[in-house]
Amino acid sequence: MIDLIIALIKVVGIWSFTLGVAAVMTWVERRGAALIQDRPGPNRAGLFGILQPVCDGIKLFTKENIVPEKADKVLFNLGPIMFAIPAFSAFAVIPFGDRIIIGGKEILLQISNIDIGFLYIVALGSLAVYGVIIGGWGSNNKYSILGGLRSTAQLISYEVPWGLALLGVVLVYGTFNLREIALAQQGTFLGILPNWGVFHQPLGFILFMVAAYAEANRVPFDLPEAESEIVSGYHTEYGSMKLGVYLFGEYVNITTLSALTVTFYFGSWHLPYINMASFLGDGTIIYGIASFLIFCLKVSFFLWLFVWVRWTVPRFRYDQVMKLGWKSLIPLALFNLFITTLFIQIKYYIGG
Amino acid sequence: MQGFETIVLYLGMSVIGVLGMVGLANFLGKFRPAPNKASTYECGVPLLDPSHKRYDVKYYLVAVLFLVFDLETVLLYPVVIKFHEFAKVSWAAFFEIFLFVAILLLGLYYAINKRAVDWE
Repeated sequence: MIDLIIALIKVVGIWSFTLGVAAVMTWVERRGAALIQDRPGPNRAGLFGILQPVCDGIKLFTKENIVPEKADKVLFNLGPIMFAIPAFSAFAVIPFGDRIIIGGKEILLQISNIDIGFLYIVALGSLAVYGVIIGGWGSNNKYSILGGLRSTAQLISYEVPWGLALLGVVLVYGTFNLREIALAQQGTFLGILPNWGVFHQPLGFILFMVAAYAEANRVPFDLPEAESEIVSGYHTEYGSMKLGVYLFGEYVNITTLSALTVTFYFGSWHLPYINMASFLGDGTIIYGIASFLIFCLKVSFFLWLFVWVRWTVPRFRYDQVMKLGWKSLIPLALFNLFITTLFIQIKYYIGG
Repeated sequence: MQGFETIVLYLGMSVIGVLGMVGLANFLGKFRPAPNKASTYECGVPLLDPSHKRYDVKYYLVAVLFLVFDLETVLLYPVVIKFHEFAKVSWAAFFEIFLFVAILLLGLYYAINKRAVDWE
């Protein structure tokens, strides 16, 4: 019974937390844009405009829920739901901190510690395509269909290098369990560097980041909704909360991808050079909170990076996107895999 | 309870949350139907032809390539996860992966040479 209560608290808490972060991100993005473009940005609702996401939410909830008469009613309604459910669920296997032991009871700061967490993430990542293509087709509008097709081509093209780059990490740590990958990043590497994935997989990290921006439909890969070409792509016909769910799902995706970057490449909750577990005591409540805060700090840097890149890099042309994906990223990802296996093999060969 | 059952809880939470959001908007928004509102979006000119018609979808080649390469990733998973154990014993698994990846690179080179991912 007590297990169920703890699990429910974690599920509800983290689910709301990821959505809350996504909501704050809509504000951060607009304030960040304003900062970079030297203008005030939204600053009226609440302190520094922090209540802007609430206003947007109220607006979207109370809008008229229009379904175009030519649209396929079932698919039109199914699209946003199919897009949002995988996006909202992907955080379930990511560890957001170490563990807390209360009265001999171990509470992992993670929703579910399963051995195939990596496969779960990859599987849910691929499901996002269905929401986009169903929404685009169901709208029965040529801009939507073109946007949906483009988006599908882009998402599936970049899923391959994304998966292959992550395979390098799995190769280094030899496990699909995200908690074990996070735990293995404690200590130092080659004596001077922190033992983080990014130093084991520098090429893999770059490939992962580029593919992650494409997977999240972010600038410079926001071609599915290139306004100057296809109005706003697959969600042209959407309004009210159905549009809201599409846009919100994208921000939740960004949060998940940032958390994944930190888990795989930046040592999750570990500080460089300092062993917090021995410093604060493994399993104490203060250690649990500290590890969670460090994880949040690292994730917030990558969230900010998404905003920063958006207002720095111009959008690609479509043939350039495909060229980058198929002619550069995939061969490089395969090369990375080859190099990683070679290094591991040589390590064992020399080591005996 | 830190295993698969919590994932089911989490998925359930997502399903309820998303359906709740979309459903709630149906009750909160006022309906004032008008013929122009429900018409298909177009840039200010009347709609001439239906949208569900035949295009030359060049992306189908990309989709076929994706199937090949995604399947290949799936086939690599079991080897990759056990690679440390194989590497301790011999170089066999390394050459196996090398051969597999080399064949795929050759295939990719062929596809690129056949201009499967070019847009002109």
